[in-house]
Amino acid sequence: MQSLYVDADSWMHRASPRLKLGSLAVLGVALFATTDLRILAVTLLAGGVLYLNVGMTWREALRRLQPVLLTIAFVTLFSLLFNPWHEAAVTVFRLVTLTLFAATLTATTTIAAFVDEITWAATPLERIGLVKAADIGLTVGLVVRFVPEIVGRYAAIREAHEARGLKIRLRTVLVPLVILTLRDADNIAAAIDARGIRRH
Amino acid sequence: MSTRDLVLSALFAAIIVALGLLPPISLGVIPVPITAQSLGVMMAGVVLGGKRGALAALIVVLLVAIGLPVLSGGRGGLAVFAAPTAGFLIGWIFAALVTGYMSELLVKPEQSSISQGIGFFIASVAGGVVVLYAFGIAYLALAAHIDLSKAFFGSLAFVPGDVVKAVVAALVGRAVMAGYPLLPQRG
Amino acid sequence: MDIRFEQAGLRYGPQIALQPLTLTLSERRIGIIGLNGSGKSSFARMINGLAKPTTGRVIVGGLDTIADAKAVLGKVGFIFQSPQNQIILPVVRDDIAFGLKNRGLAKPAVEAAVEAVLERLGARHLADRRAHELSGGELQLAALCAVLVTGPDILILDEPTNQLDLRNRGRVETMIGDLPEKVIVISHDLALIDNFDRVLVFDQGRLVADGAPGDSIARYREIAR
Repeated sequence: MQSLYVDADSWMHRASPRLKLGSLAVLGVALFATTDLRILAVTLLAGGVLYLNVGMTWREALRRLQPVLLTIAFVTLFSLLFNPWHEAAVTVFRLVTLTLFAATLTATTTIAAFVDEITWAATPLERIGLVKAADIGLTVGLVVRFVPEIVGRYAAIREAHEARGLKIRLRTVLVPLVILTLRDADNIAAAIDARGIRRH
Repeated sequence: MSTRDLVLSALFAAIIVALGLLPPISLGVIPVPITAQSLGVMMAGVVLGGKRGALAALIVVLLVAIGLPVLSGGRGGLAVFAAPTAGFLIGWIFAALVTGYMSELLVKPEQSSISQGIGFFIASVAGGVVVLYAFGIAYLALAAHIDLSKAFFGSLAFVPGDVVKAVVAALVGRAVMAGYPLLPQRG
Repeated sequence: MDIRFEQAGLRYGPQIALQPLTLTLSERRIGIIGLNGSGKSSFARMINGLAKPTTGRVIVGGLDTIADAKAVLGKVGFIFQSPQNQIILPVVRDDIAFGLKNRGLAKPAVEAAVEAVLERLGARHLADRRAHELSGGELQLAALCAVLVTGPDILILDEPTNQLDLRNRGRVETMIGDLPEKVIVISHDLALIDNFDRVLVFDQGRLVADGAPGDSIARYREIAR
């Protein structure tokens, strides 16, 4: 599975992830604090400039945002039915700006950096006994590791259905998929415990 | 948390991700193929229970946040949370939690097949429709600056599809309970 | 490094997996055979503490598997039957390194240890591969690296060649032969253990034979008939 990180070198790439995340949070609040269309237009433009200079082709950059932008467009049109155009414009500007800055952050921060940040943020939770911070990296790795196996298993189940002339129904495919996948959990857990990985 | 529980949750998160990668499948009842990912969230609840089901959903949300394109259609990254529909994503965690806990309360291995099916269906609707839409609609109203009632009515069109998914989730929950029971018992 | 069972037994509720047993294992190559459900897997899992004795105790290199569980895990490595369920991270190198990360080693030290074990087992070519693309034999080799990187003194392999094809089986056999660690192998594949120092035979939770491979295997064949 390819991550959404764009491997390039810009000042945004080199900026500290913690700083970027903090700034995004502050920006989010600020955007919803103002209704001045001129300010929002400026931030929108700033976001656009940043995002388009992250290291992707413009085409790829826009392709990534297509689903979100479509949703925003759809919702805005819907809100235009009930709200004055000024309000709808404010909403569009806010959401698109937020989208652009968020997508910029995602494109300039590696998965590993994110995992480190979350692990750090989770250490106070570890003190209350809610989570083990180190488990976060393990969990992300586990999922990425086993997704291809599950996809392969699905293909095998489909094949078996076709060989038996059965129609492929969600129900008859999902049940074996779930059972066969979860049956491995005990073995995987035993291997993890045997390596002493979670004994902190 | 035991290693086994962690692995079960992670594996189910992987199932939810895999479901997003697969092409839409036909349900058999409706001729329109549907994406199975949100169905995966309900299944997490009926199969693993409240705690582990919610954890599986939380893991998926986390993967989206850190920049993996795990949502159906290859969507991912922080931009997803900027969309007005982000409430429906975060709502997954609470949907799985409610579906899971209700399943633990309502469904027992000793019950008849029909009772189990009904129990799982109620749990799936309660979590996967009621709770999920509560989060989705609330955030939609907030982010898009629409009236709650307008947001509510605008979202209604999607409910029938999700009710059908609840039926499928109930059938899967029943079959998995018969074949490889993992649901904790409560109440 | 000795392994001592002191009247150690294992039961799950009313079911007895292993009758209380007293013995000492100090040989370099030890084989364990028996039919399914004979207690051989329980016996092996009591050595690294995956299963804790319900009676008596198990002492490994002076450490009690219950009281010093964490330390015992550091001394005993365990390779399981199913190749794909042991590599738990997407890229082999990361998986091998992960076992070391929680030991507080600095990054350069971790990287050096990973390189060392890859070199030692001739697995360099697997380091940057993705786990789901690998064959069963390659996965077992990667798992061996992941387990040996932490430097255990004892290695237990539970039916390591069960799911492998003939060529990979041969490779694993050669790997086992070359390991300087003390090795304990559970195997249905009798050829794997027929030149070992000592072979134990289990049947219905009891140790029924213990000695030279030839004698033990003969006893096993009797039981299996």
